[in-house]
Formats: sequence, structure tokens, C-alpha cells
Amino acid sequence: MAELATDEILAARERYNQSIAIAVNKKRSLWFPYLVLALLLVLPALQLIGNFNYVIHLTLFTACYVVMASGWNILGGFTGYISLGHNVFFAIGGYFAGMIFARLDISTIIIAPLAGLVAAVIGYCIGLVTLRVRGPSFIISSLALVMIFRIVFENWEFIGGAAGLALPVNDLPVQWAKLPYYYAFIVMAAIAVWVSYKIKHSKFGLGLRAISKDEIKAESSGINTRLYKVLAFAVSAFFVGMAGAVWGEYLTYIRPNIFLIILISVNMVLMCVLGGKGTIAGPVIGAILIIAFNELFVATLGASEINVLATGLIMMLTLIFFPLGIVGTLAKHGKLPQFLNWD
Amino acid sequence: MTLLIQTLILGIALGGVYALMGSGLSLIFGVMRIVNLAHPSLIMIGAYVAYWPFRLSNIEPMFMLPVAAIILACIGAILYRLVFEREARSAKYSEMTVLLTFALAMVVEGMLGTAFTNTQRITSPDYATEAFFLADIFIPKGQLYASIISIIIISALALFLKYSRLGYAIRATTENREAAELLGVNVNRVGLISFAIGLALAGAAGALVSFIFSFFPSKHWEWIVILMSLVVLGGMGSILGTVIGAFLLSAVAALVGTYFGATWSTLTFFIALFVVLLVRPQGLFGEKPELA
Repeated sequence: MAELATDEILAARERYNQSIAIAVNKKRSLWFPYLVLALLLVLPALQLIGNFNYVIHLTLFTACYVVMASGWNILGGFTGYISLGHNVFFAIGGYFAGMIFARLDISTIIIAPLAGLVAAVIGYCIGLVTLRVRGPSFIISSLALVMIFRIVFENWEFIGGAAGLALPVNDLPVQWAKLPYYYAFIVMAAIAVWVSYKIKHSKFGLGLRAISKDEIKAESSGINTRLYKVLAFAVSAFFVGMAGAVWGEYLTYIRPNIFLIILISVNMVLMCVLGGKGTIAGPVIGAILIIAFNELFVATLGASEINVLATGLIMMLTLIFFPLGIVGTLAKHGKLPQFLNWD
Repeated sequence: MTLLIQTLILGIALGGVYALMGSGLSLIFGVMRIVNLAHPSLIMIGAYVAYWPFRLSNIEPMFMLPVAAIILACIGAILYRLVFEREARSAKYSEMTVLLTFALAMVVEGMLGTAFTNTQRITSPDYATEAFFLADIFIPKGQLYASIISIIIISALALFLKYSRLGYAIRATTENREAAELLGVNVNRVGLISFAIGLALAGAAGALVSFIFSFFPSKHWEWIVILMSLVVLGGMGSILGTVIGAFLLSAVAALVGTYFGATWSTLTFFIALFVVLLVRPQGLFGEKPELA
């Protein structure tokens, strides 16, 4: 008799879970990201009717930051470990692929996954050490990491020291010169968003979110928190490293003060915070908004110092008034438009 | 041997200034649980307050020390009311304020950069380039004076914390916020006052820094890690710990600078911060792992 009751309860629970899953599915609108992706893939056709290199550059730049912010989001958003030092992996990826490109002449677009892997391995090792502390300690240790890498990179003669390395320019006509990098970044951005979606909806992602809520409870309910967060660190380092690899060739030079400036890691953090930490659409929206703001400030006000001021102000205002970010705040009030609900 | 002693003296002479720079950071963390990443950028404001009168009408930077302290105390009170008070009850407060003060640091850097450009500045009163000589060893006057003034200010702060009524309240809040509140301490007012005091220390440090280091608005990123390293080494919230950490690290950094080259001298602070956070996050004098 007792057994029969359990079976019924289990079946009822199963049905209930499925009904929830269907309800969530209805609110999602996965057609929208696919539409955006399709539009982005045909965007370079504009070059046939005129010179739209600026549009291409801005889209590419945004896509680059989408890769990085989505990568950062896996550690900072899902797991709740805020790192201000992720540009270290940007630099590692950029330098690894850049050095191979300069010496062996293999395009960084081919090397990018390998560069990402190198960044991930280094990230794994760094994570083993730094993820032992959490909260403010972790944030401060990540800042120290940037400073250490900056000094090392600036004094390592083999990779060019502070002056950096110039990389060869590709020989495509100027109209099409940006296209390989454009497609590389669009594909990487799509992969980054897709992977973070997959992670969020896996057991691994569930574990990460449990860690961000309460690490001790997560540990006591059987999650291998140490392994989970170090893996999250490695995955996020992978994407940031991959973006760095292609970015170096796109700029045609690699130098510590391009990769290892604090503004790059701030941008990653700010995009996720503004868009909504821990959501899939958040980093994408954040990247679009921040790049648009930056471009607006540089175009209208000119000075880069004002850019720093504006970035800081946006970050402060977001943190004070919308700590959940755009997507998070809208979702909390049930006003998230369907086409932004990618979770 | 002379080189060793000379290096140690140069390191220790800088230690006092570092101690003053770090003590405000430590006080604010102790009372408010705010990791004030904007501290060095506010020190920078103090440095500019001392710089312009010197540049324009040759006013002694040390005379501007109280002025810088008062200006920054006012900024601190306003910032506390506008930004930090409203967050004080939220969960993950400490982590949140790290990002907030980080953003604040960028705002200050941007403002200073827009107003004064990123040119390197330094005030150069006569004593900044002179030195006392003891046999073969020289002690630069500027650093010596600055260290002495720093130690006086920190001692005054320690006496104030130890013997005044407000000092009791501040220490009680540092030790246990809830218990202090239960016993009738107005923790919000204590927070406001200690934030203002912390920033006044930053202003005073800024005036002293103006004739020791050359400064420009974006230099504070380097200072933040230096300051965090000595505050974390001493134990966040412990002012005595900060002073000891400051002398220890600046002596070690001077030694590294002499024997391995000046580039690696700053690296000492960064690596020290990294190692201390991971090996003993509560620092030398911290009682419990507050930050971990």
C-alpha cells in the first residue's frame, strides 16, 4: 500500500515538473537570437553597396566583448566570484596566438581555440590557488594578479617587453580586410552564448548557481564546490583567451598596455552588471549598450578621461539603483519582453 | 653593509607614509566593512590640493595638510550619505561595496584626468631634495619629515580611539556592530564619522605624498594594490597591524629594489598581497578570517 502511494506521488511530481518546464519554454523566444545571428552573418553584404567599414568594426568590437562578457558571466554571474583580473586571460590568449602568428605565420583564427585552451589551463591553475578565498578577498587577489602579469609581461624580452610586437597585416583589399575577423568574432560570440545557455541548464550550472547562493550549503549537499568553481574559472578563461587571440591579429600589434589595462576587465564586469549578472541575454545587452555609450562619448566629448569618468558613473548608478541589471530587474517585475528571455 | 643599512633606512623612511596611506583604509574597513578601493584615488585629490597652492603661489605643501584633510572629510561625509548608507543593510554588502568603490575610483580618476590632465606632477619644496648625513649614510629630509608627521597623526588617531567616548563607540562598532547597536551606539553616525576620519587621513596622506612620489590621476591603480597589500598583511581593520605591515613591506621592497632592480620592487607588494590573501587571509593581527 505504502509503495503504491510513493509511485503515485513520484508520477505526480514528474507531471508537475514537466508542466513547469513547458510553461518556462513558452516564455522563451529562441527565434530572436537566431534571427540576430542570421542578420549579422549577412551584414557584410553592405560592403557591396558602399563603405561600411565603421559599422563592421563596431559590430566586431561588440561581438568581441560579447565573447568576453559571456565568458566572465560563467564565473562572475553563475558562480558569484567577481574577478577584476580577467584581462589577464585576454593577454595570455593574445600573446600566445600572436607569437605563433608572428613566428610560424599560422592565422590566429585557426589558433584561437588552442589559445583559449592555454588560457583555460593557466586559469585552472590560478583558480586552484585564488578560489580558496571568496568575497572581497577574491576580488582584491584578482586585481593583484593583473598587476603581477603586467610587470612580468612588460619585462619579458622574448615577447617584446613593454614595446610589444607588431604583427603582419593581411593582404586582402581594404573593403574586405575586416571580414575574416568579423566572422571569427560572430561565430565565437554565438558559441559563447550557446555554451553559457547549455551550462546554465546543466547539472554543472545548477551546482554553480548553488555555490553563488550559499557555498557552505552547496558543499554539504554533495557538490564538489572546489572542482566546480575551478572548472567555471577555466571555462570563462577559455572564452576570454579566445577573444584575445583574434583581437591581437585584428589590431596587428600586441602590447601589454592594450591587453592589461584595467578598463578592459572593468568593461567585462560592467557589461554583465548592467545587462544582468547570471542571465544569458544580460552580457549581450550590456556589451551593446556599453560599446554604444563609449562610442558616443568618444565621438561627442573626445577625451578618453571623460570615458573613464562616464564608465565609472554608469557602473555606480547601476550598482546603486539596479543591482540586478536590466534583464534581472525587468524579470523580477515580470516585465521582461519575450524576445529578451533567453534563459 | 653600508648599502644594506642605507637600503633599510630608505625603506623605513617610506614606511611611515605608507602607514598613513593605509590607516584610513583599515579604519574604514574595520568599522564599515567597506573595502575602499577608491582610497588611493582620494589620496590623489589630497595631493592635488597640496600641489596647486605650491605651484601657483609657492605655499608650503605641509601647510595644506589640514586643508586637504578637511576637504576630504567633507567629501567622505557626502559620499557616505549619498552612496554607502543606503547599502548598509543589504546582503553581500562587503562584496557590493568593492565594486561600488571601484567605480568611484574610476569616477575620481576621470574627473582629475579631465581637470588636470595625466601629466606627472610633484611638489618640490627645498627639503624634498635635501638629506641628513650620518657618516656614509644619508636620510632624505622629505621622507623623514613625512614619516614623522605620519606617525604623529597615527598616534593621535590611536589615542583618540583609545580614550575618547567616540573612540569607544568606533571600537565597539568595529568589534561587533549588532552588539554596539544594542548597547545604544548610533552605528550610522559612527559609520559616518569614521568614514570622514578615514578620508581625512587620505587627504593628509595626499599632502605628504605630493612631495615624495610623482603622481598623475591614473597612478592610483598601482597604489591600491600596494595599500591593500600592507593593510591585508597587518590584518584588515587593525591600525597597528597596518603600521607594522607598512614598515615591513616597504623595507622588503627597498631591499628587493636594491638587490634585484627597481622594476621588481613594486612586484614585492603585489606578490605579498597575493600570498597573504591565500595563506593567511586574516593577516598578522586579524583575529578571524574576516574577508574569507
